[in-house]
Amino acid sequence: MRKRRWTISRVITWIFLILLAGIQLFPLIWLVDFSLCQSDQLFTSGILVWPEPFQWGNYVTALTESNFLHYLFNSILINALAVVLVVIIAIMASFACTRMHWRLSGVASILLMMGLMIPIHATLLPNYIIFDRVGILDTIFALLIPYVAFSLPQGFFLTSSYMDSVPRELEEAAIIDGCGIYRTLLTVVLPMMKASVATVAIMTYLNNWNEFVMAMTFLSSPTWKTLPFAILEFTGQYSSDYAIQFAVMTLSALPAILIYICLNKHITKGVAMGAVKG
Amino acid sequence: MYKLYSNKLVIFSLVLPGLLTFVVAILAPIILSIYYSLTDYSGLGEAVFIGLQNYVQLFQDPVFWRALLNSLLLAIGFVAIQHPIAIFVALKLDHLQRRSEGILRCIYFIPNVISVAVIAYLWRFIYNPNFGLLQKILEFFGYEGKFNALGSGTAIWAVLVVLIWHGFGWGMLIYYTGIKNIDPVVYEAAAIDGANGRATFFHITLPLMKPVIKYNVTLAIISALKQMETVYLLTDGGPGNETQFLATYLYKQAFGSYKYGYGNAISVVFIAICLLATVLLNRAFADRSEQKEAKRLAKASLDH
Repeated sequence: MRKRRWTISRVITWIFLILLAGIQLFPLIWLVDFSLCQSDQLFTSGILVWPEPFQWGNYVTALTESNFLHYLFNSILINALAVVLVVIIAIMASFACTRMHWRLSGVASILLMMGLMIPIHATLLPNYIIFDRVGILDTIFALLIPYVAFSLPQGFFLTSSYMDSVPRELEEAAIIDGCGIYRTLLTVVLPMMKASVATVAIMTYLNNWNEFVMAMTFLSSPTWKTLPFAILEFTGQYSSDYAIQFAVMTLSALPAILIYICLNKHITKGVAMGAVKG
Repeated sequence: MYKLYSNKLVIFSLVLPGLLTFVVAILAPIILSIYYSLTDYSGLGEAVFIGLQNYVQLFQDPVFWRALLNSLLLAIGFVAIQHPIAIFVALKLDHLQRRSEGILRCIYFIPNVISVAVIAYLWRFIYNPNFGLLQKILEFFGYEGKFNALGSGTAIWAVLVVLIWHGFGWGMLIYYTGIKNIDPVVYEAAAIDGANGRATFFHITLPLMKPVIKYNVTLAIISALKQMETVYLLTDGGPGNETQFLATYLYKQAFGSYKYGYGNAISVVFIAICLLATVLLNRAFADRSEQKEAKRLAKASLDH
């Protein structure tokens, strides 16, 4: 039914779409371009310059002189733990709140979703005192606890609304056959929740991967610092060597872009799932 | 079976981790924050109880109002600039072939997945008056001075540009999924009835996207209130306090000026404003039938 001819309005639309793609992408191209140049080439007049020769050494310096790999590992570990914890806790709580019979299930659901409305940074100051008193400042827990707590409401929302749509017959059959609640949850319900588990995992990852204010406040030694610190520390250390800073920035952006390209379809789905909650 | 489903011990063990996380990491800090907001405390030594003095001071603090104004500007920027472009793009993407649509959607979303730290430092370089991209583009068009976008007067606009640019992909993706969820049969019916493109958009697409638009607008306003990280790294609220937001300001008061009590008062008001905004927006946008429809769509989107 649609026409596929090159009308004027179609050409204009295309120009607009490509222009917008340019705006979204150009700063990043600029970043990569100058990460391969010598620092003083930044001061030449061109908007983009052809690196001559390519300064791959910038990347070598960036990798060896910074804690990039260490921080990357920390980021991956902390995020993986946060994702696993959020998924487990969310599914357990959803099962209790949507399937089991108890009077306060509504209240519990509301409490579990309260966090959606609370700004994470408002807990920064009190948590600093609490973590200090408990003695977990500068440990992995100082990051994990807030990350899990502030991703859980969304995770709980997604899993519980999905669980509503999963048929009960299978698990009821399992229960009748003498399977306990915990085992039913693990072997019958969990496999049916795959789609929402993927969504929760991705949303949790997107929430926490780039977080750094918590990390900046609660961590002081490099032991558990996360990826954003590779950049923050490097800009101090190499304040005049712009090209190397650009290389660190490119490197830090890379993992997230790769993950995005791999999970593109699921991320779209996750956003869709969040978007229709109304 | 009913007995098994109402076993109190099992229920308790299942919700305990979730509720415990909420109490330990959200509720307890808020209560502690309320307590410290009533004190004069530098972070070290004794906290002195001073009643509501911090709140009285806060409501007379011009920076507090400036921070709220900045959030309002950002929300307007999202809703009035980012969203119309996002809807337009989402609409056009919906008509493209799969391949080009996928690539474009990917490009639009990429800035969104990149760490705020990279984004903020990248834009600091772009805005650099000596060698930044913006300066070079201005020179290309014949401008001869040095333009410091992050300087006094223009800084807040420079910050808004970054935030609108950075969040574009997210807003666009939400609209895109909203459009994708519209049943194509509706369009066919419209085409048979002889509706042109414009009529279809205003009488079919837009009304059917109402729940998604409401959701996106709510999200934009809340995230405008919550804004912290990009601004913190880009300008740290400066120059002066021109680009201060509530979260950057409370951080600055507590860790920069050692007014921990005052910082907590900002935190408490910050939470109150976010709660109030969420409740008001939900009430303004509430519509029972649409909520049901949204639930149906939520399931449908996961099933295909």
